[in-house]
Amino acid sequence: MKRQSLLQQYAAIAIFAVAFLAVGFAVRNSYYQLMMTLVLIWATMGLGWNMLSGYSGLISFGHAAFFGLGAYTVTIAFVKFGITPWIGVPLGTIVGMIAGVLIGIPTFRLRGHYFALAMLAYPLAMLYVFEWLGYQEVSLPMKRENPAAYMQFNDQRAYMVITMVVVVICMIISLHVERSRFGRSLLAIKQNLPAAEAAGINAARWRMYAMMLSAAMAAAAGGIYAVILLVVTPLTVFGALTSAQALIVTLFGGVGTFWGPIIGSAILIPLAETLHAELGHILPGIQGVVYGVAIIVIILVAPDGIYWKVRDRIMARRTLPPLPEPTPAVETASIAADTPRPAFGAPILELDDVSRAFGGLKAVEGVTLSVPEGTIYGIIGPNGAGKTTLFNVLNGFLTADRGTMRFAGQEIGKLKPHEVCARGVGRTFQVVRSFPRMTVLENVVIGAFVGSKTDDEAERLAMEALARVGMADHQAHMLAGGLTTRQLRLMELARALAPKPRLLLLDETLAGLGQNELDDVLPVIRRVNREGVTIVIIEHTMHAMVRLADHFSVLDHGRLIASGAPADVTRNPAVIEAYLGKKWMDRAKDQVA
Amino acid sequence: MLKIRSLDVAYGGLRALSGVSLDVERGQFVAVVGPNGAGKTTLFKTISGVVMPAAGEITYNGANLLAVAPAERAQLGIAHVPEGRQVFASMTVMENLEMGAYTRKGQARWSETLPMILQLFPILAERRDQLAGTLSGGEQQMLAIGRGLASAPELLMLDEPSMGLAPAIVDAIFERIQLIHKNGLTILLVEQRVAEALETCDHGYVLETGRVSMEGNHKTLMSDERVRRAYLGM
Amino acid sequence: MDELKWLLVDFFQAMAAGLLVGGTYGLMCVGLGIIFGVMRVVNFAHGDFMMLGMYAAFYLVTGFGTLAFLGPYVAPIVGALLAGPIVFVIGWLLHKYLISQVTGARVMSAEAEGHYAQIILTLGIALVLANGGLILFGSTPVSVQTPLSRESWEIGLIFFNQARAIGFIIAILCAIGLYLFLTRTNLGKALRAAADNPIAAAYVGIDVDRSHRIAFGLGVGITAVAGGLIAISQSFQPYIGFDFVIVMYAGVVLGGMGSILGAFWGGLTIGLVQQMSTLVLPYQLQNTAIFVVFLIIVFFRPQGMFGRVWERT
Repeated sequence: MKRQSLLQQYAAIAIFAVAFLAVGFAVRNSYYQLMMTLVLIWATMGLGWNMLSGYSGLISFGHAAFFGLGAYTVTIAFVKFGITPWIGVPLGTIVGMIAGVLIGIPTFRLRGHYFALAMLAYPLAMLYVFEWLGYQEVSLPMKRENPAAYMQFNDQRAYMVITMVVVVICMIISLHVERSRFGRSLLAIKQNLPAAEAAGINAARWRMYAMMLSAAMAAAAGGIYAVILLVVTPLTVFGALTSAQALIVTLFGGVGTFWGPIIGSAILIPLAETLHAELGHILPGIQGVVYGVAIIVIILVAPDGIYWKVRDRIMARRTLPPLPEPTPAVETASIAADTPRPAFGAPILELDDVSRAFGGLKAVEGVTLSVPEGTIYGIIGPNGAGKTTLFNVLNGFLTADRGTMRFAGQEIGKLKPHEVCARGVGRTFQVVRSFPRMTVLENVVIGAFVGSKTDDEAERLAMEALARVGMADHQAHMLAGGLTTRQLRLMELARALAPKPRLLLLDETLAGLGQNELDDVLPVIRRVNREGVTIVIIEHTMHAMVRLADHFSVLDHGRLIASGAPADVTRNPAVIEAYLGKKWMDRAKDQVA
Repeated sequence: MLKIRSLDVAYGGLRALSGVSLDVERGQFVAVVGPNGAGKTTLFKTISGVVMPAAGEITYNGANLLAVAPAERAQLGIAHVPEGRQVFASMTVMENLEMGAYTRKGQARWSETLPMILQLFPILAERRDQLAGTLSGGEQQMLAIGRGLASAPELLMLDEPSMGLAPAIVDAIFERIQLIHKNGLTILLVEQRVAEALETCDHGYVLETGRVSMEGNHKTLMSDERVRRAYLGM
Repeated sequence: MDELKWLLVDFFQAMAAGLLVGGTYGLMCVGLGIIFGVMRVVNFAHGDFMMLGMYAAFYLVTGFGTLAFLGPYVAPIVGALLAGPIVFVIGWLLHKYLISQVTGARVMSAEAEGHYAQIILTLGIALVLANGGLILFGSTPVSVQTPLSRESWEIGLIFFNQARAIGFIIAILCAIGLYLFLTRTNLGKALRAAADNPIAAAYVGIDVDRSHRIAFGLGVGITAVAGGLIAISQSFQPYIGFDFVIVMYAGVVLGGMGSILGAFWGGLTIGLVQQMSTLVLPYQLQNTAIFVVFLIIVFFRPQGMFGRVWERT
């Protein structure tokens, strides 16, 4: 399923804008016109929330902070300094953006629910501060002469047009973010942060950009809100309901897509406002109840929002052809699996006395090894031996307590995961998390960002990587959700190969594969190796490993207990003891004696 | 007592077990060995009800075990000592044992079972008021076994009791397990350490990539080269 | 010299007020501690359950006057205590039909995904409860009437507001009661076990789903009792839940995740911070002080005072 082209999306936005305004202009009643404008304001707020929380997965309960700052900037600029909102709104947007940075710097260090709670605290604190400062209720004065210069119009529809302009700008920004490496990186971060970092994505930087845009949009919404309602109180702009509304319209309409806030806002705002108008005097708070029920229902029934639910239904109805088995491209590849390899080169990875402990537990202790370039190097050992910890230290997720690690002669011990990746080290992870709603190509291209300057180049690298693992061209555009386990593993391999690394760390890539599946995957790994990529692989499946690896190093209780050719290592008494137990070894010795 | 026939289990998108059949007679000591990823823990999880099989049957004392809710299976007399101990870290040693006796039978026989457990593992009596999370690995393993015994079970299932423990402690633990068996309890043991497991068992099964590749009594398995190959590939 | 004396008096007065308020805050946080600290369920609606407890007490004592026969001194206390079981039932039902859909052993392994759904769902519940409360109870602030709130005991130069003092004593008694329940009864221990390690709990025959349900009901019920006690000394309206959410989380996080005793101390400390901040900050900013403390803990010592150490309850 090819994604819609950019032109189609622009057309859709244009149609939406025109249709909405047409309805708006046709409506006579100024109350309904106001309601439509409110739909647009909350859509903007939702788009802002979506930019951070929808795309990157960091749930914020505090976007009212930016909304309120935007509103108060416009208000104070107008009331105290006589600055027109035409300048005030952009100013508020900038203030919001700065606040986003200031709030983001400390708060990004938090995870999950701590982040959400901390974000909740900011607007509430601001609320109290503004109340204390004496801004209980501030009205924007009416200008008699030249009201238009102060963004004051008699005709409600003028506000609608202005707000629509803002909405369209936000939609276009969101559209471009979604299609760019920015958006893809955010999605990768949301999906699986460690894998994203290991693939070279600098999470901190992208998150901050997202926060800045997000805060700016929310502040813009707040600024216009102030202009339209002409009265600003701390509770309405900093209150919890404001933060909640941003979240709710997006969640309801669809998270992670710019159409979500539009849909959510268009449905919920008129519903809530109408109920409030009709029943507000008997049932005050009916709005909140509606919002509450809306989220409860949506989170249970369609957790990603209406947009995705509908889209999934539509996609499912179109019968997709089953994914064909990979063509025997493996054999017709330029380098056959049994081509003699060039002699092994100089060490590409050197570990010296690498150690890492957790509390009292020595997970990795004094590991010294050297991986010659061009080999397939296996690291094996019984459960709990420290293999994954070793990989995590190599990758930069953990720091070594002592010891040095050199890649291609350069020290990498202090580098962060995305920096290690940038140097030419790729890694696969045990649990493959794909984006089921995106195509195979879109999944793989995330790995290519670190090795490319433009998005086109990244796509090209991704296609090459897919070819290398034997996933043919037409598979590249299939949705990843329909892949088998074997195909998922190959896709994961392609993602790690996309930036053309010199060294590939494979973390249990073969785990759980049956004999047939192994017969497909092993030649791919061999071929990649013969093309010049050094491979270090952790595996439990010994049957596969002995066929694949040139060299084994055996870890037990964090220590290296043997190193050498597979045939030697598997007969090494220390290794047998590690796997089968001391008693087995003793008996074996007794038998020999 | 426990009969498993043609069990097929999928776990995490992979075929964890294929066509596995095994028997445990009352009073027997049955061992299941095999390399990592062979499906041993999945087997236990299926017996305990944490995982549901795609096909196959399990009968316990003649009745279909799969129809029984997981929390009820403990009441039937099946005690599961999990992989990695899984003690209640924030509770004391004594409280852990008390939790083990949560079953009806456990409550009824508590006055006899407790002294038996403390005699078997004197260290637990010493540390009765200590928080389980602060115990050493070996002590936690003993606590986990004690907790299993506290339910006065008919079948004791032990999942890799040696994992992460030093050899000397592993020996001590296996000694105790043998003692427990001698006292009349039926034991189903899953282990990576082949010799320790096979030494005292009445019957053993070798599990490789989800299938039973070999079975026999401990003499036949102990000297079989194929067992070694199952672990080391060659 | 006189100045210093009055400053000291002010200081100790604030501290006394902080302690008294802190007692009920402590109980309030214990409720959340059971749910958030131990079960790791993010319950956004916790403040609103407290609000329900406050209104339950109000209607029992003042609104419908059901307990009026007990007299104006005893009725408020009984009302607060009865609020517990009432809210327990509501919480139990909500957990069974809604919250358990997004929590429980299924979700134990999923990190952010599980929490995401919990946060959103409980946010929805919070909105429905708070606004539903607005519809049912109206927006006029009310409080549980008792002559106690206007009288004080005097020790030295320090005044102890009677309502708050009684609230403090009852809160301590409830906390002790809860402690005994969790450590001495089989059910209490089973709840702790189910929260500590659901898989192992299932293996020993504990019905983990039922345990989580009871624990949830208990958590919101305890907080409701605290709310009933707070209602004696201050007025409230249906939106009060939102005000208290951060206070509660601050207390639990300060006390340390996983430690119910810690939650009590955390709540007590927060009460102290709130009251003593009035010595240096204007009255309207007392909650801001709490937010600042919350942010500081979360940034610099997220494990709190007693967290990460294997502490009994």
